Amino acid sequence: MKKLNKNWLVLFVLGFVVMLLAACGGSTIPEEAVTEASEEGVEAAEDVDQEIVYAATSDAVGLSPIMTNDSVSSNAISQIYETLFVRNPETMEIEPKLAESYETPDDKTWVIHLKEGITFQDGTPFNAEAVKYTFDKLRDPATAAPRASLLEPVESVNVIDENTVEIKTKYPYGPMLAALSHTNASIVSPTADQAQDLMQQPVGTGPFQFVEWTQGESLVLEDNPDYWGGAPELDKVTFKVVPEISTAISMLQTGEVDFIDGLPSDQIDRIRSLDNVEVLEKPGTPVYYLNFNFSKEMNQDPEFRKAVAAAINRDAFVENLNGLGVRSDSVIGPKVFGYTEEADNGGQAYDPELAKQLVEENGYGDQTIKMLVANRDNYMQMAEIAQAQLAEAGFDVAIETMEWGTFLDATAAGEYDLTFLGWSNVTGDGSELLYPNFHSDNIGASNRSQYSNPEFDELVNASRVTVDQDARKQALIEANQLLLDETATVVMNHGVVTAATADDVQGLKLDPNGQWFLENVTRE
Amino acid sequence: MFALVVRRFFQLLFLLLGISFLVFSSMYIAPGDPAAIIAGPTAAESDIEAIRDNLGLNEPFLAQYGRYLSNAVQGDLGYSYQTKQPVWEAIMIRFPNTLKLAIASMIVAVIIGIIAGLVSALRQNSLWDVSATTFALAGISIPNFWLGAVLILVFAVNLEWLPVGGLSSPWYTLDGVKELILPAITLGTASAAMIARMARSSMLEVIRADYVRTARAKGVKEGSVIWIHTLKNAMIPIITVIGLNFGFLLGGTIITEKVFAINGVGRLMIDAIAARDFPMVQGSVLLVAALFVIVNLAVDIIYTYIDPRISYD
Repeated sequence: MKKLNKNWLVLFVLGFVVMLLAACGGSTIPEEAVTEASEEGVEAAEDVDQEIVYAATSDAVGLSPIMTNDSVSSNAISQIYETLFVRNPETMEIEPKLAESYETPDDKTWVIHLKEGITFQDGTPFNAEAVKYTFDKLRDPATAAPRASLLEPVESVNVIDENTVEIKTKYPYGPMLAALSHTNASIVSPTADQAQDLMQQPVGTGPFQFVEWTQGESLVLEDNPDYWGGAPELDKVTFKVVPEISTAISMLQTGEVDFIDGLPSDQIDRIRSLDNVEVLEKPGTPVYYLNFNFSKEMNQDPEFRKAVAAAINRDAFVENLNGLGVRSDSVIGPKVFGYTEEADNGGQAYDPELAKQLVEENGYGDQTIKMLVANRDNYMQMAEIAQAQLAEAGFDVAIETMEWGTFLDATAAGEYDLTFLGWSNVTGDGSELLYPNFHSDNIGASNRSQYSNPEFDELVNASRVTVDQDARKQALIEANQLLLDETATVVMNHGVVTAATADDVQGLKLDPNGQWFLENVTRE
Repeated sequence: MFALVVRRFFQLLFLLLGISFLVFSSMYIAPGDPAAIIAGPTAAESDIEAIRDNLGLNEPFLAQYGRYLSNAVQGDLGYSYQTKQPVWEAIMIRFPNTLKLAIASMIVAVIIGIIAGLVSALRQNSLWDVSATTFALAGISIPNFWLGAVLILVFAVNLEWLPVGGLSSPWYTLDGVKELILPAITLGTASAAMIARMARSSMLEVIRADYVRTARAKGVKEGSVIWIHTLKNAMIPIITVIGLNFGFLLGGTIITEKVFAINGVGRLMIDAIAARDFPMVQGSVLLVAALFVIVNLAVDIIYTYIDPRISYD
């Protein structure tokens, strides 16, 4: 017995030592980080590996701008491909990118002159043919593109000459340039698209080109040495899939990844406190709001909506977001075309006494209100805070949570009383926010509130069917104010777009719509 | 033995047929439209309708299921609705990671579980026994996401001994082994605890058997008594637990894969369910079911080696 005991002990200790040895076998700090640290202050930046690893919380769905519509894919796609126009994140004006200039001979015709001498990463020349090919493919119903509706107003795309393309629309279409600056309107190489599946092997004109993709694991890009804007400083870009954000933060801390984005408000303090990490935050285009279901009788009562708005303290909610939210009543946010400062306080203010009074007078507390919530982003937090405040005013609110896919269905079908929605506003154009979400054309689909107001519809139409940008802006300001006057929705907050990088990463360009560009990034 | 394998194979075919019908119909009935998810919240109704048409989702249920089945019989599991990638290819990218993780976790579980179980059985009611049973209770009770997060904070972030996550290096390299340690411990702890409990009770039962007393009376060395006469005979229930656990682990482990950023079958499946990616869900569930049956078959065969009295013929 004694002997056996000893054997066990030896075995146990041996096992433990082996595990410990395996664990201590070497440091996991990436080699480059060690070199960097030892050379800091001695050598110039040129010795540093110009590589960056980005942690994405999900994998890209695919790498074709025509066939995808999710944010991770968009982020990869906008490094590989380019659009004819881009919105300048500072001025919020739309500027030419692959386009050189444009003119509108009449209000249904857009003549776009293209930059010359640009080639795709496979050597195919970028020209009017490529633009026509891309847009025709995007529009073709047989393609079943997720964002075919971007070019829905387009009647035809015609090649005028090698570097001039003409777009004819069915009706005057105001947000055309915004649509053309959308990632999903990026121009693809026609030869590559015919030869291979761009979802797996993308070819564009952008600063980075595709190397390899292990789905669910990592996507690798390298610099495009022939990039028309000058080869980027970074040699290699890796998208690494890290589904758990707290794991991604740990990886950023240990240097396993160099860059994360979409920082959650409940972890932002931890990230800000990290020594080797730089946090980027700027007001963005996303908007998050409480949505009334207008097909329900109670929501058709303006006093009811007013009581709900008066009961919810949005200032307190935004404070809870640790700086990751902007407070404004306006549906069209500060970074979106069509915004005006006057709308910031243009809606029903927080007034708990008024709310209580309205609830009492009208007996709003007698029925249970079903608040449907998607179990992602900040929606749960939003719902819990709103529920507590509504209860204080005398409402009886029951929260029902749903997983995203089911939620999309249930809200499109109008199976709720109140819910919370968000809109990322990729194009940064107010028409592209108000039309899908509140125009009666889209009831049963993206207009989940089933809000229908002919006066509002007309204003939104006006913003869409004129190409005069000043007139468009005025129509949007009026439409926005109408939503506020009617308390058609209660804006909880406007988004703040965020990213956190290793502190030696310089030049990251973060767009107000949350997308980013690595073209000018260097590591020092 | 051969008859057993053949019988199980035919059972497996029927099982897969039944499962495929169940999965297909439950996905069909479940709320959530794959086309709406692919299109995203910003898409127009016309976009969604075009995708629905393109995927054949407007066809009646039986037509969809029939087409799926006839393709599946010919070895074609279809294409992902979302990524357009062949389902088989998508699964085969992930499966090696799940397999690696399952094997590593089982190694951790078997070593710790059997040692703890043996020690506590041989030293019943001693301090060793109490510690081992406490460990078993804790191991079963601690949630994976918590254990994983704590291990990451201690060993990866603070001590910097091991990487935070990912399985990118080959398993036979030092880096590969290091990547496996934390997830294997996270995942193996619960299995270790179950094995320890089973080993303890099973050993306690056998160690009191008459033939063990006889062996000791005949002067057989204690080592042989434990290893040959006791452990081998106590192994049947332990092997059952190991088999069951291994089968579960091969099905992918959603939480551990998520916490450690491992590209495995569990994550593939949960993402596919969230996206209502029917062919992907179907393909991965069928794979997991088949593996479970195969592992059980292996366990049954192992029984006959451990206890020659067991025969399937």
